[in-house]
Amino acid sequence: MDNESLLVADEERDILQELMNIAFGKAAAELAEVISIFVVLSVPSIKVLKAAQLPEYLQEEIRDFADISIVEQNFWGRFKGSAFLVFPAGAGKALISLLDPEHEATFESGTFEVLEKETLMEVGNILIGACVGKMSELLGDVVTYSPPKVVVENEPRGIIPKNLFDPEYTAIVMRTVFRFEERDVRGFLFLVTTHDSIVWLKKALAAFIEHYE
Amino acid sequence: MNEFSQILDSVNLGLVILDADLRVRYWNRWMESRSGIAAERIAGALLFDFFPSLKTPAFIRSCKSVLTFGNFSFFSQKLHRFLFPFRPDSSFESRFEQMQQSCTMGPLRNDDTTISALYLTVQDVTELAAYEHRLMEMNMRDGLTGAYNRRFLEKRMEEEFNRHVRYSRSLSVVMFDIDFFKKVNDSYGHLCGDLILKDIAGEIAAMIRTTDFLARYGGEEFCCLLPETDLPAAQMIAERFRSRVAEAQHIYQGQEIYVTISLGVAALTPGLSSCHALLKKADDALYEAKRSGRNRVVAC
Repeated sequence: MDNESLLVADEERDILQELMNIAFGKAAAELAEVISIFVVLSVPSIKVLKAAQLPEYLQEEIRDFADISIVEQNFWGRFKGSAFLVFPAGAGKALISLLDPEHEATFESGTFEVLEKETLMEVGNILIGACVGKMSELLGDVVTYSPPKVVVENEPRGIIPKNLFDPEYTAIVMRTVFRFEERDVRGFLFLVTTHDSIVWLKKALAAFIEHYE
Repeated sequence: MNEFSQILDSVNLGLVILDADLRVRYWNRWMESRSGIAAERIAGALLFDFFPSLKTPAFIRSCKSVLTFGNFSFFSQKLHRFLFPFRPDSSFESRFEQMQQSCTMGPLRNDDTTISALYLTVQDVTELAAYEHRLMEMNMRDGLTGAYNRRFLEKRMEEEFNRHVRYSRSLSVVMFDIDFFKKVNDSYGHLCGDLILKDIAGEIAAMIRTTDFLARYGGEEFCCLLPETDLPAAQMIAERFRSRVAEAQHIYQGQEIYVTISLGVAALTPGLSSCHALLKKADDALYEAKRSGRNRVVAC
């Protein structure tokens, strides 16, 4: 694709890939060690796209899921962008006990959906925080986060709101598949960096590899 | 006096700083006044020594992820209700025993970006939660009788139906209707009719278990959902409803009024496709009870 060759060299992409591998490996290890959440993160893949192409791309990526929920969280630093966690519908239910085993009691109608949604946000917050946090740490940056938000709730796939992204932006999309070992829940994590952090990212990647080699 | 400390002590927000070993480093005036614990007293102490209820896996997990990953943690009122067990402002005490809180936790970094402490913000959202609670109640209940409304029943019924089918458990429904209710309204007026509806809903509600649901289904028609109850048991319960209502005396403007109800009972049977089919069965039984003379229970 044009964008890819234009903006991000293959070598840079390889470095980014390697960096993500390290970051996500550390994130998973620390999640297990520190808070006993066992998550497997697949080898990430990287794409450079126009933001306008994102909804279509995401749709294609998640075509195996029937209904989905998406948690969005923005991160700010020099490394800047949005993280999207895509869960299959009903994942929140399966994850409630992951966070709080005592919560397995019965609920009033309505309350359960709220709990499910809140659980998705909390799991999203933890997972996104760990992955993005480790990445930015390796890149020598510190980021802060917006509160997580459920932007799509149990919708049939295909309804990824077009207005989630500024269409003019170039985005680096980093995709990984995550799986909670004990809960049989899988989903996707997409990190979309904004246009203005790409220049910085290229420099940070160069610094990273220099330090690494 | 430091400008920031003046602000920190006057904002309508609880602010706490904890060291990496979860000892209290800072405790603002809002926290002092809500907790009754002076900053000098809690400074340097383990937070859990003063608030043992915070020592939960979820809270410890959040602290660790903030300190390890530089995460932010959000404790919404909806999921956690509160972190610190404070008393609410008096006007909300009847609804909430504790102040409802929305809390945030984040890392505090040194100049070299390592994380040495975390901060907590505590926001009082009791009033908001009370309004939400009231709205939800209004959405679920019939204003006159206090029984659940039809919409809530239908939603609940679908959940119960699916659950009972999945686990092959028994589930019954009692539909009932006040006999000659139109006559009551015509002879004594609608206010009297309302009073009787309220009385009957109150009497039946007092007879059922907390797991059962009584809903006002239509004008003078009620529906009672009985989870984990088979047909013979539901029939017995319906019969108790019938005799209780028949014996109850309603007093309206000094006049004694007696009414009866007719009841239809149905239970989940294999092959029943939906909760609507179950309701329809109970409704048919109710129709049969009416047709065959009223003030009686018919099961099918």
